[in-house]
Amino acid sequence: MSKRTAEGSADTSYPAKKSRKARDDEDYVDVDNFQAVELESPPDSPVVPRGATINFSALTRKLADARRARESGDGQDESSLSTHRRQQDALVSHVFQDHDFSWLHLKADHASRPLWISPEDGHIILEAFSPIAEQAQDFLIAIAEPVSRPAFIHEYKLTSYSLYAAVSVGLQTEDIIEVLNRLSKVPVPESIVTFIRERTLSYGKVKLVLKHNKYYVESSHPETLQFLLKDRVIREARVHSERVDNSIRAATFTTSKAPVKGNLVIPGTKEAEKKKDEQTNGKGANGKTDAELFTSVVGVEQDEVEEDDENVHAFEIDDAKIDDVKKRCNELEYPMLEEYDFRNDTINANLEIDLKPSTVIRPYQETSLSKMFGNGRARSGIIVLPCGAGKTLVGITAACTIKKSCLVLCTSSVSVMQWRQQFMQWSNVTDKQIAVFTADQKEKFAGESGIVVSTYSMVANTHNRSHEAKKMMEFLTSREWGFILLDEVHVVPAAMFRRVVTTIKAHSKLGLTATLVREDDKIADLNYMIGPKLYEANWMELAAKGHIANVQCAEVWCPMTPEFYREYLREHSRKRMLLYCMNPRKFQACQFLIKYHEDRGDKIIVFSDNVYALEAYAKKLGKLYIHGGTGQTERMRILQWFQHSPEVNTIFLSKVGDTSIDLPEATCLIQISSHFGSRRQEAQRLGRILRAKRRNDEGFNAFFYSLVSKDTQEMFYSTKRQQFLIDQGYAFKVITHLEGLDDLPGLVYKSRDEQIELLSSVLLANESEAELGSDIRANEGDLAGTVTSKDFGMPTKAPGVQRTTGSLTALSGAQHMSYVEQNKSANKKLAREVAPRHKLFAKRDKDIAAARKEARSAAKG
Amino acid sequence: MKAIRGVLLTCDSAVKQILLTMNEKQSFIIEDLDDFHVVIKADEEYRVRRELEAELEKNTYSLE
Repeated sequence: MSKRTAEGSADTSYPAKKSRKARDDEDYVDVDNFQAVELESPPDSPVVPRGATINFSALTRKLADARRARESGDGQDESSLSTHRRQQDALVSHVFQDHDFSWLHLKADHASRPLWISPEDGHIILEAFSPIAEQAQDFLIAIAEPVSRPAFIHEYKLTSYSLYAAVSVGLQTEDIIEVLNRLSKVPVPESIVTFIRERTLSYGKVKLVLKHNKYYVESSHPETLQFLLKDRVIREARVHSERVDNSIRAATFTTSKAPVKGNLVIPGTKEAEKKKDEQTNGKGANGKTDAELFTSVVGVEQDEVEEDDENVHAFEIDDAKIDDVKKRCNELEYPMLEEYDFRNDTINANLEIDLKPSTVIRPYQETSLSKMFGNGRARSGIIVLPCGAGKTLVGITAACTIKKSCLVLCTSSVSVMQWRQQFMQWSNVTDKQIAVFTADQKEKFAGESGIVVSTYSMVANTHNRSHEAKKMMEFLTSREWGFILLDEVHVVPAAMFRRVVTTIKAHSKLGLTATLVREDDKIADLNYMIGPKLYEANWMELAAKGHIANVQCAEVWCPMTPEFYREYLREHSRKRMLLYCMNPRKFQACQFLIKYHEDRGDKIIVFSDNVYALEAYAKKLGKLYIHGGTGQTERMRILQWFQHSPEVNTIFLSKVGDTSIDLPEATCLIQISSHFGSRRQEAQRLGRILRAKRRNDEGFNAFFYSLVSKDTQEMFYSTKRQQFLIDQGYAFKVITHLEGLDDLPGLVYKSRDEQIELLSSVLLANESEAELGSDIRANEGDLAGTVTSKDFGMPTKAPGVQRTTGSLTALSGAQHMSYVEQNKSANKKLAREVAPRHKLFAKRDKDIAAARKEARSAAKG
Repeated sequence: MKAIRGVLLTCDSAVKQILLTMNEKQSFIIEDLDDFHVVIKADEEYRVRRELEAELEKNTYSLE
């Protein structure tokens, strides 16, 4: 256990199994002592995680010893509370080492305040069970980044970027400190106050505005501008329009009125519905209920009122040098906010699009957008929403609010088509206004303004363009874009991003993602290139409100059979992976779970990254499967059967299913092999069942199983993969034994002989079979690092010509050879026609679908 | 024949496989009894335990 010297953030996020393990280790837990630890030394709590799981057993033992000692010498010591307490503090403090904050003074009414603030690293621990936790959360989300949000204790972290984001939505330094102080159990530590002051002082004071097609550096503090102009790089980039003298005086700045939100209405919101022209106060119910305390800080609009009559100063800078200036400002700790005053932009033609009247956005989507359009201008930034929570609709609504030419960039050509289709579905954009730019299709929109959907690599590619693509690029770079939508921002390499951002002139940028995690920690780059994180949804909250499905996560431990494990230990190549995927016990567990959930009436998807294992499993268990090699018609047929036929309840999917296939019928997910420790893939797969059709049924749960071979590397990867979801509040149960597995009739690979046979076939398999996702080849224009590519590297080249030797007779099949397929794929048995449906049911289904659609649109309205 | 002091180890089948692999590098097993039991040399016990621990730890994910 001592190995797990988790840093502060980690401990709250401990997977259930670990803490359980920890508890198992204690032979004896004295409840009183336990409480004593927690209650008597509260100042330690901000870092409880570090200590808590590590040494509770040792701790309890020590405490018990101490008590015994005291009891024996009871006479002289009247066990006064203070001595007792000191004693325990001394006992406990070593656990926390340099994170012992017992010297902090608790406020008298600390019990009713929900926050702990660590004076050292700016971590904030929130008691999520506190009655005012909800308001505290709203506030914390605005000023800090969520680190981990399980059921009862949330952890947030104050960072430069989060404070930057806070200022960018209009919060004031003093308000932040004030509210923190109000919520905190201990007075806000001096170090944190200085940190907040320092950061907010410079952040958000300078804005980069594209006005009348010229870039302006804008600030309401003339002294800041003067400071910036003292810098050589910035001074040189300045364009002197009215005067040529270099004297830097406030007088030379152009001065104008600060913007107000005015009557900007985001389409689809309640405000739009009610046709309310005046600015409404506070966005949601909580804004009104606790107005005195929080709206003044959390509510965005009120701050704008203060700024109303302030004058704004600006100077113009050269378009070409915009990137240098941005970089320089960052170095000077005056990062520029990018805002777009789209309503006063008369140069770029308006794009007359709007959401369809039937489209209504959900409250959290509204909140996220209100952060973007807080002061009537469009801010650049990133919005983080879980898969299946309607990221696309947020993007489309933003586009419909700005109503200017819009460029949408996504990661693969498949999602290009999806975006286009979604635009058509939710907004009244016409066919002519929306164009697609991929390797296969190069369209331009008709008219002055429109929407172009493309991929990152199509736009960022610098060499080997076809003539058409070149012309298209000229078209893209020659014009000015009101809005650029960046889908799945977390996967885009920084270099490619920079190219996109510099070649395309856009007034505002919005990044969308579900998982702002990267295995290489390059997230910080995004902050600078796009903007701060504007909004991050709480998964658990969305699940509680029924926007996404409730999911039960479980990790099933399958012991390796001795034979497989022996080979596993001997093998050192990638074939190891094949061995733990093909573990017969895993086979059995998979069979058992499929049987169990099919009997419950669930629709099951089984995921395997490894194609060899996928086929072996599917064939052995007689289920349908789809991988990259499956033809389009076969694919459609299989999906149709899965969706409509009650006989087909399980399909096996390779990586192709990670993103591009949408199956709202699925309610249970089993993964048998996955891409090492990729947290993103785990989240993405979970996303497959988050939008389950049945999610609003009473007591509905979706299931997510990971099958893991015990004592292998898979254990390591599996735990790592779960970290992201655990931070979102999901708990993984560990199942070590499936009850009734051994009695399952027709259990596969039951006898040792069969297992050994399986082993030998695995050993005979090529090493290349062990590779992951080898079935999918990236299309030209797909981004490296998206699920389509083989190893998260560059897209593989199209296969070269293969040369084989053989006689012509053999190649034409004239030699006397015949094959019998033993383990026939269930795909082949599938009838050629679509799933058989009685006319009556087909008609009924159509009616139900129509009714549901209506109901859905009504519910949204 | 000289008697060797032995220790009876009880383990699960996976651990036994690890022990067998370790045994190939440096022999310490006196008698392989069944899937769950093995007798090893007493003076090697500490080393074996330590190496086994290290081997198993490789599959555990820890937050830095």
